[in-house]
Amino acid sequence: MKQKKRNPLVWLILTAVAVIQIFPLIWLVDFSLASSTEMFTSGLLILPKKIQWGNYVKAFVDGHFLLYLKNSILINVLAVALVILISILAAFACRRMHWRLSGFVKTLLLMGMMIPIHATLLPNFKIYSVLGLTDTMWALLIPYVAFSLPQGLFLMTSFMESIPEELEEAAVIDGCGIYRIIFQIITPLLKSSIATVSIMTFLNNWNEFIMASTYLRSPTWKTLPFSVLEFTGQYSSNYAVQFAVMALTAAPAVIVYILLNKHITKGVAMGAVKG
Amino acid sequence: MKKLYSNKLVILSLILPGLLLFLFAILAPICLSIYYGFTDYSGMGSFRFVGLENYRQLFQDKAFGRALLNSLLLAIGFVCIQHPLAMIVAAVLDKLGGRAENFFRCVYFIPNVISVAVIAYLWKFIYNPDFGLLNNIIKALGGAGGINWFSYDNAIWSVLLVLIWHGFGWGMLIYYTGIKNIDPVLYEAAAIDGADEKTTFLRITLPLMKPVIQVNVTMAVISALKQMETVYLLTNGGPGDSTQFAATYLYQQAFKAYKYGYGNAIGVVFILICLAATVILNSVFADRDVPRAGKGTVNV
Repeated sequence: MKQKKRNPLVWLILTAVAVIQIFPLIWLVDFSLASSTEMFTSGLLILPKKIQWGNYVKAFVDGHFLLYLKNSILINVLAVALVILISILAAFACRRMHWRLSGFVKTLLLMGMMIPIHATLLPNFKIYSVLGLTDTMWALLIPYVAFSLPQGLFLMTSFMESIPEELEEAAVIDGCGIYRIIFQIITPLLKSSIATVSIMTFLNNWNEFIMASTYLRSPTWKTLPFSVLEFTGQYSSNYAVQFAVMALTAAPAVIVYILLNKHITKGVAMGAVKG
Repeated sequence: MKKLYSNKLVILSLILPGLLLFLFAILAPICLSIYYGFTDYSGMGSFRFVGLENYRQLFQDKAFGRALLNSLLLAIGFVCIQHPLAMIVAAVLDKLGGRAENFFRCVYFIPNVISVAVIAYLWKFIYNPDFGLLNNIIKALGGAGGINWFSYDNAIWSVLLVLIWHGFGWGMLIYYTGIKNIDPVLYEAAAIDGADEKTTFLRITLPLMKPVIQVNVTMAVISALKQMETVYLLTNGGPGDSTQFAATYLYQQAFKAYKYGYGNAIGVVFILICLAATVILNSVFADRDVPRAGKGTVNV
């Protein structure tokens, strides 16, 4: 097949779209390094007279950046681990074990995908208040895991179908129990789907804030988006610091994405095409 | 073998964590919503049952109607603007090859990994009448600038623009994956037959992408219905309900207007609408079933 010459129109389209997608972020970083008084220009970008690193220092300290980052990482890692564990167990029970309600229970659990997460905000607020779960890590962990589980289950069951049953038969003959079959034979074979489910769960929950702002009051368990949310009130006139806190909170996810971009792209593609 | 695989106790231990989580975090709140939907509960103190009063009120509620209209507008925006663009860009990108292809793919997806909180506040600044990027661009192009993007008439379009912009990379990536899964032999055959790029796109890419398009359209409509976070931070439904969405409205009613019972009634109707939309879209697309283009393996 002859290699098509890369025609200039192709480059024009791709570059234009790239500029539209990325320029707002460049603008954000640029303004975050200026001082507030420099912002009222009619130019598109500012060349700051002096780069204001102080904006970032303020954002880092007053935005509780480290605490919120730690909370975000902890809660998301736990959520991912639980989603994977629970979805593998449930997928095995629904796909491989013999019981009458397996199909029904699987459909029931998958129904969770259709339920709008925001409709549960009001009743869950009530439930968590009564049970004393508000302002604890559980108030985030429970809904995060519950709403990522259907997708996890869906992906795990469809990948599990491709594993030949003969593999398990051999293990059973060797005297292997169900739990050992799951953890020592099935789980290692599910590596790629575990990666996919992890990425999808992470992307779903990392940036979530509406549940967090409904169920949490004190800063103990607040997550990264709160750095931005709380700042706008506190520094309402100091725009430059607000830009800095936005750039700072966006940074971890963007850096991780750029480093792992091949894997994440693959995970999203697999998850979305299957789901 | 059979005996081992039908051990009731083992089955229970495997399914129980997932089932309990579903019951506690999804089913129980829905039941509670149905219960409170029949009351005039304000959020504290005592309440009484009012039967279907909330639902009667809801069907005459102009703000809720506006919310559904806005969801429809957003869905149209996704399907008629975002998706065709995403598909064209995906098709063009697919032919590029090499490092440039990876670079552009990476750049397009970056807005998707950024928190909605950052995106919403960033766009609030972009729309800022004093130093906002958008007015400055208009000025640079020779316009007057100083436009109030969040006026009653403009606000919904400003919100739609942000949402279409933010989700672009995601849609692009899915179409891109779909295109990558098309057998290259087909393109070679078309090239031998002398088909130009436009014909190849219309006659090969587009028909084979049908299943991907169907999945993507379904997801776009559902996510248009479920939209909340970005709008909540950008405009919170205002000015005057002009950018209201179902989820922002129920949240406001419950926590700002202290109509917790009414908010729950909205929640129940909201869930029913989402379920109905999913079922309708799936059955519409199932009628014209086509074998899936992708075989589950993804080449990126």
